[in-house]
Amino acid sequence: MDQDTEVLRTRDFWGALALMAISAFFLWRTFDIPLWGENRAGVSSANWYNSAAIVPLGIFSALAALSLVLLGISIRAGGAQRALSSVGIGWSAKEALRFSTIGIILFFYVAGLVPRVDFVLCSGLLITALTFGFHKGQGRRMILAALSVAVAGGYALAAHLPQSEWAAHDDDWLTLLVWIGLTVWMLCRARGDRVLKAVPTIAVIVPALLVCAMAFGFRQNVPNRGGLLFKQIEYHYYVTIRPLWRG
Amino acid sequence: MDFVLLQLSGFAGAFIALVLDPLTYAYLIISVFLGITFGALPGLTATLAVTILTGFFGNKIPLDYSLIALLGAYVGAIYGGSYPSILLNIPGTAASAATAMDGHPLAKAGRGGEALGLTTTASFIGTLIGTFALLIFVWLLLLLSKNIASPEKALLALFGILLSGTLMSEDLVIKGWIAGLIGLAMAMVGLDPLLSEPRYTFGWSYMLSGFQVVPVLMGAFAVPQIIDGMRHMEMGQMVQLKGRILPNLSSIRRYMPTITRSGVIGTGVGSLPGVGEDVAGWVSYGVGKTVSKDGENFGKGSIEGLLSSETANNACIGGALIPLLVLGIPGSPPAAALMGAFKINNIIPGPTIDPEIILRVVAIMVLASFTMFVMGLFTARVFIKILRIPQVVFLPVVMVLTTIGSFSVGGGINDLYLMLGVGFVAYFMNLMKYPIAPLVIGVILGGLFDETFRRSLLISGGDLTVFASRPVAAILLMLNVTLVLSQIPVMKRALGRFRGKVI
Repeated sequence: MDQDTEVLRTRDFWGALALMAISAFFLWRTFDIPLWGENRAGVSSANWYNSAAIVPLGIFSALAALSLVLLGISIRAGGAQRALSSVGIGWSAKEALRFSTIGIILFFYVAGLVPRVDFVLCSGLLITALTFGFHKGQGRRMILAALSVAVAGGYALAAHLPQSEWAAHDDDWLTLLVWIGLTVWMLCRARGDRVLKAVPTIAVIVPALLVCAMAFGFRQNVPNRGGLLFKQIEYHYYVTIRPLWRG
Repeated sequence: MDFVLLQLSGFAGAFIALVLDPLTYAYLIISVFLGITFGALPGLTATLAVTILTGFFGNKIPLDYSLIALLGAYVGAIYGGSYPSILLNIPGTAASAATAMDGHPLAKAGRGGEALGLTTTASFIGTLIGTFALLIFVWLLLLLSKNIASPEKALLALFGILLSGTLMSEDLVIKGWIAGLIGLAMAMVGLDPLLSEPRYTFGWSYMLSGFQVVPVLMGAFAVPQIIDGMRHMEMGQMVQLKGRILPNLSSIRRYMPTITRSGVIGTGVGSLPGVGEDVAGWVSYGVGKTVSKDGENFGKGSIEGLLSSETANNACIGGALIPLLVLGIPGSPPAAALMGAFKINNIIPGPTIDPEIILRVVAIMVLASFTMFVMGLFTARVFIKILRIPQVVFLPVVMVLTTIGSFSVGGGINDLYLMLGVGFVAYFMNLMKYPIAPLVIGVILGGLFDETFRRSLLISGGDLTVFASRPVAAILLMLNVTLVLSQIPVMKRALGRFRGKVI
């Protein structure tokens, strides 16, 4: 068995255990759905085949059974013996740093920034952070990029958690400051790197174009309509620009 | 023969209506260009192209234009994968993996222009073969599918998930089945389709309507791609393109038997539920290697090898649309994304689909393949320049596209949370070599399976023989059982011994 397969079987060991736990949890939850003749959605029936639980029961039972088979395969291939060894799992500190920094950036972007901060600002910060952080594969840049998004996103989350506060603008200003700071830092280190030099232009143009196309072209809802920049764009679109061709 | 003529005249009507509409060209040119770009950039896939455009065009423009955009991107992306395969030896999409085997040696030998020209022509003819099969067989199957009732539908949905799990697994088949089951489980969330009983909603009102297809698609296909692609990569040395791209007629004529054979194989593989363009490419390549006189040169720069995979992966598109339109079961992962677009437009693919839609799909496919052909031959050098863009530049842009696309489909911020959650799960599944396509197909077909399975039991009063008492149901049940049994090691060994004795 080659090393890749050994690593895979060790991961399968943990994967199978996780799947068994998930199957057990959802099987337990499935028994909350009436199965034998209770009142269902206001209709009383005594037949098991009427139940909304019957298909989920089959699915989670099959999942539990297949997880057991997978566990058996991984144990036979030595997955259990290597389960606690970092080499056995295929742990790589560099890869873990890469994944966790991307995870942090995506989490704070989606959960913290998109609902609360102007879309152009937060997407500009995301594009700058991801490109600068991961362009050359340097750990320090990854951490700095993740920290930038985490600071802006974390503040937005902490300061304006409930939906009623999403229209506030202090988090927009902070995001703008962080974005400018990261861009300046990046340009200082660009030193003839054409990719990094192009980032500020891409980071401004792409989100602005997308949000305008979605809002005014497709007439769809866009995140945070009251955002610092979008509010101005929307105002000038309807008040200044649109009358030019409507008039 | 009358039937074929009737079909062709129906198609001609739909085709002329499209050709006369100037907006058709705007959508076609943009979507095919975007599709080829997505296919050409290693790290972006055809499924991602269709998924992202579903978020953008799915329900925001009239269905006809939305179909033009999505099918144009689908056709373009499958073809676009051949560029990096030939010039960089990196498949742009999984469907073009077999293309690199012969395409790159040809480019290194100074025949890159010829390889690209023939690939473009073969992809064009392949798409037309698949589309012709779609036009003819979809109607025959639609006639047959009128006899398909709930038991058959439930068994077909199960077969689609199982087959996709079996064929899409890189590692153990069981992982494909587990992925399919996870997808099915995700489809169980929300109000159940018969009694409106809430399931696994955990008191969250957003969950009552179940998981929406588009965020799941975006999460499953886009987020893992972004996480995995954000790494420093030295771009391989691109082979300089030499020779003219426009192929001459005599060489096309010489390779016509290979193109036709591969087109038929690609269409056949595509029509299997849940099996994608990559499988079609490899199957056709394998068959080509066995039957071709040039078989021994496959992998060393054989034009026949190149055409075998490239024709088949494009022909697979038409094939993949057959089960989608007739049965509501996607024939490939991009077709699953297309099904998402149908769903958000409230169109239910299957025996009850409006025949006009099928004719329009066929007409769009023909126009899209023609646009791809013209763009491929005359603007190839533009796409070659695009190949030089590093992944770390376009993947963050894809993340922004994914976010706004997923948000605007309807569910708002909650859809984004769902997208991110599914994305992280899919990334870890990728890491452990679980295929993602069966999961998505499970999510899409889960509702159909649940509803038809329980309706069958309701009609039969709980009698399980309802799944074996009707001829088509019995055949489908046998197929499901055989598929599962054929993967059990004891049965595999017995089958091997039996084959050894017979042969």
